[in-house]
Amino acid sequence: MYEFSTLGWVRHVIFHPSEGFEDLRWKKQGSIKLSIIIVVLLFVAMVANNRMVGFAFNTNTVKVFNVVPLIVQSVVYFITWCIGNWCICTLLDGEGTFRKIVIYSAYALVPYIFCTYIAVIFSNFIIKEESIWFTFFSYLGLGWSVVLMISAMKAVHQYSLTKTLVSIFLTLVAMLLILFLAILLLSLFQQVYVFVYTVYTEIAYRIRG
Amino acid sequence: MNGSKNSLKRLISLLAAGCMALTMSVTAFADEPYNSYNYDNWDAAIPSQAGYTVEKVLSGQSMDFSKLRDQSDPLYISDTESTSLSEARDFYNYKDEELWVADTSNNRILRLDKDFKLTGCYKGVTGTSKAEGVESLPDGSGTVFKEPQGLFVTDSPTTGKQTVYIADYANARVVRATVESATELKLEQEYLKPTEALYTSKTFNPTKVVVDYAENVYAVVKSVNTGSVQFKADGSFTGFYGANRVAVTAAVIAQKLWRKIASNEQIEGMSRNVPVEYANFDMDDEGFIYTVTEVTTSTDAVKKINPAGYNIWDNVVGDEYKFGDHTDAVWDMATKKTYATKLTDIAVSSDGLINVLDFETGRVFQYDRLCNLICIFGTKNSAADQRGSFSTPNAVEVFNGKVLVLEGSKTRNDITVFKMTTFGENLHKAFELYDEGLYVEAAPYWNEVIKRDGGYTYAHVGLGKADLKNHKYHDAMERFEIANDKDDYDKAFEYYRDEWLQGHFTGIAVVVVILVVLWIAKKILDKMGIRIFRKKGEK
Repeated sequence: MYEFSTLGWVRHVIFHPSEGFEDLRWKKQGSIKLSIIIVVLLFVAMVANNRMVGFAFNTNTVKVFNVVPLIVQSVVYFITWCIGNWCICTLLDGEGTFRKIVIYSAYALVPYIFCTYIAVIFSNFIIKEESIWFTFFSYLGLGWSVVLMISAMKAVHQYSLTKTLVSIFLTLVAMLLILFLAILLLSLFQQVYVFVYTVYTEIAYRIRG
Repeated sequence: MNGSKNSLKRLISLLAAGCMALTMSVTAFADEPYNSYNYDNWDAAIPSQAGYTVEKVLSGQSMDFSKLRDQSDPLYISDTESTSLSEARDFYNYKDEELWVADTSNNRILRLDKDFKLTGCYKGVTGTSKAEGVESLPDGSGTVFKEPQGLFVTDSPTTGKQTVYIADYANARVVRATVESATELKLEQEYLKPTEALYTSKTFNPTKVVVDYAENVYAVVKSVNTGSVQFKADGSFTGFYGANRVAVTAAVIAQKLWRKIASNEQIEGMSRNVPVEYANFDMDDEGFIYTVTEVTTSTDAVKKINPAGYNIWDNVVGDEYKFGDHTDAVWDMATKKTYATKLTDIAVSSDGLINVLDFETGRVFQYDRLCNLICIFGTKNSAADQRGSFSTPNAVEVFNGKVLVLEGSKTRNDITVFKMTTFGENLHKAFELYDEGLYVEAAPYWNEVIKRDGGYTYAHVGLGKADLKNHKYHDAMERFEIANDKDDYDKAFEYYRDEWLQGHFTGIAVVVVILVVLWIAKKILDKMGIRIFRKKGEK
């Protein structure tokens, strides 16, 4: 049983939140290429939610648009999530490899991405009185993805539910740590760069006399 | 040969350049010493056109104050009488015919005519005074003014005579007097320090005065923070009116908490949180009293008080009235000072325009009757005195459609007259029609506004509403999007959607019917075992 195409597997795990990821693991399925496409689609969904949502629903400042925070909110958060989860679960006897964590996490995000697109399209056809449809789809996607993510982490590491929740919490802490260190490193490198550049200008002035 | 031709060419071009330079210098024009700006819907200051421009600056000389020293003139007082204003604090527009000025440090009241020429000067009032410690006039016929800071001129509803109310600051009285001649004010009634226990302040130094149609007198009194002191026409004290509240800041809340745990001795040592007294007030034609308070917080900075003493412009009930600059305190590099909005005077004109004067920045903020910001003009004095800049702007008044700002410091005393620009005229007409709901009629004026300032938010809102009335919903949506007006956009979109659905109903119905038919056909074919789309791996 369970002979699906790559996309068929995505459909299967989405509509079978409790068993889908176990099946995926048992059959050793999942495509890293598709995962990357999903993360890119997540980024596009973020941009769409920022720029293409109906004017009356757009709470963002439409005067300026900066793509960097959106990259951070989608791609960077996803990568840190995977790294953090891998680090924590390696220590907590998790069975998942890094590749599997990436694939399973990406698959779990699909409902959120899909519902965001639907909400964005809907928002262009509804008025504020009917905003319930907009919020409904936003929250539906989010909730579904959270459930799937828990299920995915449970399957990939072969944890009990409690251990999964604890590991997810620790992963969030690890993400914070990673991002903090990354920012710290960035600012340190900036200072090193400024120092080197100052030395360079100093020498350049001396040589010119 | 060639060389001489070249030099001739050079000479001609040089001449041409010289001519250009000359004409350019000739076309230099008088500009405001500041950049006009306005606020967009994101609370960001954006450049705008000037709604008002300086027409003239009136000094004592241009107002004919020299008459006071001219022995042949009926207004003659003495050879040493000051011929300029001195730290004048207030002025009042009497029916657009006369301008009355409280010339504070010269201890006199001045009357100017329509052309700002002196027609009256009053050093005191005739009649016997009941106030204590008031000096007599030189001829003994009455008592003098001492630092009069506020005044109010009206026709008395009982006698029909032109009546002046003067907040005689240092004499601790408010005076009601009738205008008898160019030099004589006759005392009718004095409003002195109330003897009632309700009045707890030790002093009574009135700074501003307003009178309502029932001849009740409202006086702002220095260091009385329980509201303006209210008197009946006969001089009896009736209470306080429209007190300010304490702005709820973190410091105030913290102190409230400390008070709960502190001992009585400690509480005595604490400072008390009391509201700030008004800086000034004004009354409109409908009898509403407008007050301004020099506070840095937004609480009660500008109030419109109804006869019961309640503030109509209260943000607590969910409205968002904003006055003055939208920014928080700003640190200025040049003067090394922090500037926070400090609203010092308000003037409401007969056509409902509200002018608020910011003492710190020297700016006049003009609002329509619904508190929409129309324009901003005036600026702080920098190193040099320039037309349209102020160092101590004390009062603002509207006079025949012009906005006057009274500058009264130790070094500079004058009245600056701002006149409307074409931009300002269009704005006023547009806002007047817009506020009455005549959006279509306002549209041509909004178009004129947009020609001069394409970023003027209300113009886009106004044109959008006009489009909405003309059933041009899609145009209206575009206008509202520019103005970032989400609620009106939503309304326009609702109509647009209804219109679109009605217009395309046949098409939509046909598509739906075709889809349903196709779906049923597919079901039937499936049942009959005929597959149109074969699934993968199926045979």
